[in-house]
Amino acid sequence: MTTMESAAQLMQPSAEEASMRPFKKASVKFWIAIGLLSAVVALGIVAWIVQLREGMGVAGFSNRSFWAIDLTNVVTIIGVSYGGAVVSAMLLLTGASWRAPLARIAEGMAVVTVVIGAAFIIPHLGRPDRLLYMFMQPNFRSPVFWDFVAITTYMFASFVFFFLPLIPDMAILRNKHPEELGRGRRTLYRICSHGWISSPKQHRVLRGAIGVVAILIIPLAVSVHSVLSWAFSLVSRPGWHESIWAPYFVIAALYSGVALVIVIAAGFRRGYHLEAFISERHFVRLGFMMAALGATYLYLTFADILPGAYVGERGVAEVVHDTLLGDYAISFWAFIFAGAIVPILLVALPQTRNTGGMVVAATLVVIAMWLKRLVMVSETSHYDQLTRSFGQYYQFTWVSISITLAGVAAIPLLLMLLFRVVPILAIDEVDTLATEDSPSPIKSKSSMGRGVGTVASIFLLLAAAGAIGLGNATPASADEAIPTIIVSALSSGPEISITATVKNGSGPVWEADLKFYESTTMFKPGNNLVPVGKGITDYNGVAEVSYVAAVNGIRTVTVMYYFDEEAPPAIGTAQVSASGAVSPYVEPKPELLAGAGRTLVGALFTLVLLSLLIVIAQVVRVRRTMKEETLS
Amino acid sequence: MVNLRNAVDRSKRTRPYPDLGLTPAGVVSTEAEDLSRRNMLLGLGAVGVASMGGALGLIGFKDEAQAASSATKGAEHQWCRIVDLRFCTGERKCVSSCQTRHGLPPEQTWMRVLSWQDEVGKEFFMPVPCQMCENPPCIAVCPVSATTRTPEGITLVDQDKCIGSRACMAACPYEARYFNWNKPAETNRMPAPSPSTPEFPANQIGTVGKCVLCADRIPYSNELPSCVDACPNHVHYIGDFVTDVAVNGVATVKLSTFLSENNAVRFKEELGTNPRTYYILGKGQPLGGPMAGVK
Repeated sequence: MTTMESAAQLMQPSAEEASMRPFKKASVKFWIAIGLLSAVVALGIVAWIVQLREGMGVAGFSNRSFWAIDLTNVVTIIGVSYGGAVVSAMLLLTGASWRAPLARIAEGMAVVTVVIGAAFIIPHLGRPDRLLYMFMQPNFRSPVFWDFVAITTYMFASFVFFFLPLIPDMAILRNKHPEELGRGRRTLYRICSHGWISSPKQHRVLRGAIGVVAILIIPLAVSVHSVLSWAFSLVSRPGWHESIWAPYFVIAALYSGVALVIVIAAGFRRGYHLEAFISERHFVRLGFMMAALGATYLYLTFADILPGAYVGERGVAEVVHDTLLGDYAISFWAFIFAGAIVPILLVALPQTRNTGGMVVAATLVVIAMWLKRLVMVSETSHYDQLTRSFGQYYQFTWVSISITLAGVAAIPLLLMLLFRVVPILAIDEVDTLATEDSPSPIKSKSSMGRGVGTVASIFLLLAAAGAIGLGNATPASADEAIPTIIVSALSSGPEISITATVKNGSGPVWEADLKFYESTTMFKPGNNLVPVGKGITDYNGVAEVSYVAAVNGIRTVTVMYYFDEEAPPAIGTAQVSASGAVSPYVEPKPELLAGAGRTLVGALFTLVLLSLLIVIAQVVRVRRTMKEETLS
Repeated sequence: MVNLRNAVDRSKRTRPYPDLGLTPAGVVSTEAEDLSRRNMLLGLGAVGVASMGGALGLIGFKDEAQAASSATKGAEHQWCRIVDLRFCTGERKCVSSCQTRHGLPPEQTWMRVLSWQDEVGKEFFMPVPCQMCENPPCIAVCPVSATTRTPEGITLVDQDKCIGSRACMAACPYEARYFNWNKPAETNRMPAPSPSTPEFPANQIGTVGKCVLCADRIPYSNELPSCVDACPNHVHYIGDFVTDVAVNGVATVKLSTFLSENNAVRFKEELGTNPRTYYILGKGQPLGGPMAGVK
């Protein structure tokens, strides 16, 4: 950094002292804040219990609005977590050493928000009591399951990313200020930093380990937000089924995340008087990042909307129209102005390019991004694909609002409590920043690597050819002779040919309209003659129909002749044995790309596992140097 | 072969249907006039005809032992549906009988009847049940495999496994899935009390329900699905691809012939879901209705 800043910091109180300010006896204001935030969280938990007992109907959901506020919260809050990771990890990797005073706050925010965001899956579920089924009977094809894997992996990595830089800081405070720490913290610090003697080798190993985790946490966070978007875009619903959604979600996460880092950093800066470490320049630099991400997000929003609106495709066009001009379009436009244009202007204009301006801009962005996510989730969710109209929009109720507010309140609450336990500044890094300017090169580690029965023998079995006499059935005109039908059936494999001969007393009947049936065992009795064809007798009184049997075994065929509209038909039956029957049913072809999909999922899970192993290896590495040095 | 064995098994289990009659498609017979013919045919005693008589119907509730054996029966049947829109007058009897049979709340209709009017005010109707896709998107997205497809091609939800993520509701292009937002009413399960099975689910709070094609009726009781039974115009058919037969309560048709002769089409074919529900249009209406105005 600049020498001026370094000089200024040297004159200011040390990072050690500043980090320990939250450890002192808390002010009344602090406890009032904790009390109020806890009350909001408690109300949210009460609301959730009501929802559990009464059903999710009390939270405003309906069949035409099945995904809404809880999923919005999941996406938004996990999204801001990424901001914490990027401010810390990306800036670390690019050697932007000015990040040092912000690093702990950003990493702490990443840890807290990913936990709260993931927790919002619980009120989202209809049966949270069965959450463990995700482990016990997982469906590897489900994007919701991928979400689960991605979130837990990322959560673990962000814990490690938060913990590793804590080790030297804890050692410093433990050694220099044991009495000011208090017993609880002292014990915790001793356990965590056991073996840290701040040797050059330990520093080198730790820096390497943090670098590797920082590299890994970026693809992991990208995976979390991509997979979150795939829970939406892997269904055929208009508005969600968009290829742009994965990068769209990633940028949205970064945008809102950087904004929340600004808000939270400003809050703690004010609360603990950290102005000496976190200066206006920090906010302005974060503001620039936010503005660039905001502009990118605006561009992606346009790119998302244009194709659907231009083509006017059914469904997509309606969703776009409703988003832009519908009853709730106000939320979309509120995002555009208050969530993108105004914040960018606040950064762009020199008059507002200060801490106050950045905090206002960031607050607008955080709120507007929640609104934008609600629009993205609800617009499509309440679109009925059958009637192509919008049903009941999601209804806000006190239950859903309370649960949401509880999550919002839990973020500062947990952070305030967290920084009463761990130092709020990355002491070691801030001190290094003050003494040396050159950012340490990070060694990168490559860790990526990446399937009728044919015909049975045809045999002929003529089982029966029967001639059936037909009794008189209350003849309408008793004088008329009733025709008789002699049926014979031959089968050649599955092919059955029925020959019917119609006689009237002595002579054959010409041009008799015959109907041919096959008996079936299927469904209800009384309904079991399946029509197989029609025939008209020739001058010998003979008609033939052939068909392919769908079922093997003895088939009963029936021929009927309606010789008189009033009288029942003349009937003849025969039996024949069919073999090698060909059912018209054909097993469906396997899904296109089904095999490729499985391979891909397998590869992805391998990658996730690999990432986890690498993260764990870093922890082990650091622990080992700490042990070695203690022994020597 | 397969069928005969089935028929024998079934006749052992259930008492033979006393009023065995043969009523081919399109023939309206009255009791008096063809009584003797019936007797005659009954007298034939052909294996292929008479022993097929199923049960009238005590309710064919499937107990757990039967449920276990059903899996081994494999795909002796491949159920499908035909909805003959030519005769649908929008009485919605299919919907109400389904609601009654499955004990569903009014807002949860496992079958919806779409309706719309053309320019001259002519009304069209289209019942939309679960399409029983061969490639169901709802199964892929379920995180806990609570949705399964039977070997006979019926998609069912296991109410005891469902965690209520509603991913299937998002994935279904036919909007055929419903969530129990509130405490559901007691299901009128018969014979009560009986265990809840995917074939005859007892609705639970916080889980997803859908059309089960009355999987507890076919083939166990020889009863038709309630919508097929209830339709006064005999619009609904239940069919079996394997034996190539379909029935609507009065008529029996040869499935493959019936579909091709009547130009049967499937809803949202372009999505590749391979639905097993076929629609017969015939009134000049667009499948699924016009761009706007569908209710």
